[in-house]
Formats: sequence, C-alpha cells, structure tokens
Amino acid sequence: MSNTPIIEVQHITKRFKGLTAVKDVSFSIREGAITGMIGPNGAGKSTTFNMICGYYPPTEGKIFFRGQDITDKKAHEYTKMKIARTFQIMKPLKNLSVLENVVASCYFGHAAAKSEREARERAMEILEFTGLFDKRHILSKDMGTPDQKRLEMARALATKPELLFLDENMAGLNPAETEAAIELIRQINRSGVTIFLIEHIMQAVVSLCEEVIVLHHGEKIAEGTPEQVMNDPYVMEVYLGTKGGAAHA
Amino acid sequence: MSEKVKAVRAYRRNVALALGLLLLVFVLIPVFVKSPYILNIFVLVFYMSTLSMAWNLLGGMTGQNSLGHAAYMGLGAYASCLLITKAGANPWLSAIFGMIVVGLVAGVIFYPCFILRGPYFTLVSIAFGEAMRQFIINSTFFGRASGVGLPFGRDSWLDFRFGSKVPYYYVGLAMVLLIYLLMKKIERSRMGYALRTIREDEDAAAAIGINPTKYKIMAVVVSAMVAALVGFFYASYIRYIDPDLMVQAKSTESVLPAVVGGAAYVEGPLVGGLIMIPLSEFLRAKYSALLPGINMLLYAIALLAVIRFRPTGILGWYMHSKTKKFVDEKLLRKPPVEVFEAVELQKHSGKEA
Repeated sequence: MSNTPIIEVQHITKRFKGLTAVKDVSFSIREGAITGMIGPNGAGKSTTFNMICGYYPPTEGKIFFRGQDITDKKAHEYTKMKIARTFQIMKPLKNLSVLENVVASCYFGHAAAKSEREARERAMEILEFTGLFDKRHILSKDMGTPDQKRLEMARALATKPELLFLDENMAGLNPAETEAAIELIRQINRSGVTIFLIEHIMQAVVSLCEEVIVLHHGEKIAEGTPEQVMNDPYVMEVYLGTKGGAAHA
Repeated sequence: MSEKVKAVRAYRRNVALALGLLLLVFVLIPVFVKSPYILNIFVLVFYMSTLSMAWNLLGGMTGQNSLGHAAYMGLGAYASCLLITKAGANPWLSAIFGMIVVGLVAGVIFYPCFILRGPYFTLVSIAFGEAMRQFIINSTFFGRASGVGLPFGRDSWLDFRFGSKVPYYYVGLAMVLLIYLLMKKIERSRMGYALRTIREDEDAAAAIGINPTKYKIMAVVVSAMVAALVGFFYASYIRYIDPDLMVQAKSTESVLPAVVGGAAYVEGPLVGGLIMIPLSEFLRAKYSALLPGINMLLYAIALLAVIRFRPTGILGWYMHSKTKKFVDEKLLRKPPVEVFEAVELQKHSGKEA
C-alpha cells in the first residue's frame, strides 16, 4: 500500500447559520484500510461525512483525494473518481425492483456499463455478492431494513468504487444481522476497496476498523486503533460514559 | 436448455402476433369506417396520446409535473406555421424547425428552475404557458388573437395537406408509434434509469453519479420537442391555430391520459387516451344538448372514479391483476421470469466462450 493517504481532510469547519456543527477537524484515511468514525449523537459525524461526500462544501478547510483537491466537487462527480457512498436513512428507489435499483447504478460512475446487457450482468454479480440475488424481483420498498441496508451497499458497489463511505450501515440491525453485515464489509474490503464508516455499534467498529476517529461537539477528540481510542480517558468520559458501560467491550 | 429457449421464443412470437393483430386493426379502421366524425376521434386520440406521452416522460418517468405542455405544443405549432406562411418553407422541414425552437426555448427557460427542487418546476411551467399565450396575443408578428391560418389547396403529401381525414389518420398513427418506440427506447436506456432514479430520490441519484440537473434538462427538452411535433400535426390537421391552443385547460388535458392510463408506464398515455378521449367525445355528443356542461360533469365523475379506485391508473391495476396473469400464462404462454433469465445468461456465456 502507498503511504499517501487516499483521503486527507485539512481543518474543515462547517457552520449552519450561527451553529458550528464541525470545528477544525483534520484526519486522513489510509488506502486499503477500514477507518471508522464514532461519536455521540450530534457530534458532527454525518456533517463531516456529507462534506467529504460532496453533499455540501465545508465553510472552511480543504479535502484531498489522492493529493487532488476535491473540496468543491459536486456529489454527482464522486463516482467518476471511484468514490461511492451509502445513506444513513436508506434511499432505495422505492418503485423499482431490487435488480433495477442496481442496474441503474451500473450505468454510471467511472466504469459505466455501455449496454443494457452489461449493466444487467454486472448487477446480477453484485446481487450475488451482497446476498440479494433471490430477492431481485421484489420492489425495494417491500424489503425490510437489513435488506435495504444491503441494497444501499449493492448500489454503491455497482459503481465499482475504490473508496466506499458507509453511513451507519448497521443501525437498526439485530446481532445476527450485524454479524452478517460485518462479514460483508470485510469481504468488500478484502476485494481492495478502502472503507470509511460511521457507526454507532461498538462491536462493529472494534472488530472491523484499524483506525478510529472520535468526534465530540464537532471536534476531533481522539484517533488511533480501537484499543487506544477506547482507553482514552476523555473518550470514555464523553462518549462511552454517556452511552453506558454496556456499549464497549 | 433448448426447451427454455423454445418457450421464450414461443412467448415472444405470441406477443408479436398479438401486437401485430392490434396494429392491423388500427391500420384497417379507415378502410371500414367511413364516418369523418369517428375518424376525427381517432386522430384526436393519436395526437393527444402523443402529447400525453411527452408529458409522461417528465411527469411519470422523471417525477417533474408539468402543467405547461399546451404551451410547447402551441409554440411548436406557431413556429412551424409561421415558417410556412412567412417564408414559404416546406411543412415537413418546418416541423423540424418547430421542434428545435421549442426544445431550445424549453431548455433555456427551465435550466434555472431545475437548480431548485420541488414544485417550482410545476409553477414555472404554468407561468410559462400563460406568458407565452399573452405574448402571442399581443404580438402582431404572431397574428395576435386572430391566429394564423395555413393555406388551403390541392391534396399533397409534400405540403401535408388533405381534404380527407384518412391521411391524417395514418400520419397520426405513425406518430404515435414512433414516439412510443422512442419512449420505450429511452425507458430502457441509461437516460431512462437516470430519470427514474431522479424521480425516486435526487440525492440517491447524485450519489451514484447522475447529474440531476443535466438529465432533467434532457427530459424537458425531449418532452417539449415531442409536444412541438404534436403542435405541428395539429396545425396541419386543423389548418388554423390561435392562442387559445395554449390555455391552461389544454395543458391539463395532456396530463389526463397519462394519469388515467398509469403514469408509471410508457403505455399509460396510450391506454388512457384510448379510453378518455372517446369517452369525452361521446359524452359531448350525447349529453351536451340536454343540459349545458353536463358532459363535463360526467367526464369529471369518470375521472374521479378512476383516481379514487385505481390511483395508479388502469395499467397500474392491470399489471398486478389476475386478468394479466390469465392473459400472460394462458393466452401468451409466458414462461416464468427464471426461464427468461436462464436464457439470457446462457446466451451471454455462449457468446463469451
């Protein structure tokens, strides 16, 4: 793996009118790794995430992707740069079948399918990989939360990303479903995709991430391996302390 | 293996046969039906369904509800008519000219609206229609309120001018088919997937690399161009246009066939048009003498009934009905989806090997 980070975030700040949601946050994401971001509700995780994904630009600061300044790139330009994302609140194309959902994604991004046949074939492969193959003819609105979360990932993967952003992909899953989702994320990572995820479920963060960034009140308060972060006294106080002892190992 | 291929082929043949028969019926209608009144209703069905298909590209496929399609149609009619009357151009070339003009106008006008989301597009489309009408009423160049008439003369294909309704019937039929095939092509293409993704969720669309503004502009331009073509057809058929062509009620009329037929389907406007327009004409002929306006009242009741009991339109109901199951399995002998996929996959692996 190369030493230059795949994503480098430099001093980003986001202000919504008077409210400062994220204040002077800097960190980097190592290529090939799984990096996680945690923090209590309202810590600014999603805001940070949305800035990196081009959903809105930071008020101050810069974001680099492989050394290239992408701060002002629009959301729809990301898949061309081999970056894909999922949404915390699932956004399935409700009135389309699962297959059509993924076919739509196959048509766009840096490796956009040239023909309907190619798009359908690739969609089938991805449905197989994400375990949705048997449900391909169901309307996506008729599926439950775990499958919709999987569909979010399948749609992102269909654009053939090298960097995947997952926004709370395991929220609302039971332990068995969480385990399956963790396994899927590992598989995606093993296939060569760098992953950056926001997660509330500590079990997932601890078992998946090599590096963890902790946000609190819009500021970065710690970063390091999961063990380092968990043993950080300040983190224990503001995050794990408030969530109760059951949340961490 | 070959069993499945055979089943799929047999099904495709049955479908082609059914569609061919349907087309044959339409081709033969003018041979047996001589009444100009009935033929006029069919011509009306053809061009209103085409206009509704244009609307459906935006409203049904992209989720952008336009209430200004009469304006595109009217503008297309004016652009081509003025080129014919003022410059003496050939009507067919004028049709293309009209489509280009209207496409450009729609693209330029609606580009800023698509940066905003939500109902702005609908509001602007209403304002656009009314503004265009007012502009034409007050412009001497456009003939003000007295409109523009096309020259009469001998029957001629070159001038697209006929005394009989039969040639218009066939041109109208060809127009419906052509635009239907175009819409079907768009639906299955990258653009179709982009439009439907935008309809379902604009953020999700952007996240997979779709530029929502770009595709919405493409949709509005194509839709306006088709409407302009309808305008040209209308002008050539009626041989006279006036600004009343662009009134708001006409825009609403372009929405109804799609909504009644099922806006989620490319075929929706065709089904809706075939039902609603003859119904409207029938009610007018039968009841309007009884009590003024009663025909509109009955039409409104029929419309409300469809929307109340079949909110996804007639096709929306049919697609999930037992009738379709019966037609598919018993009449057309449609094999299960798995068989289609097996055949599809086989074909691909066979070609690659």
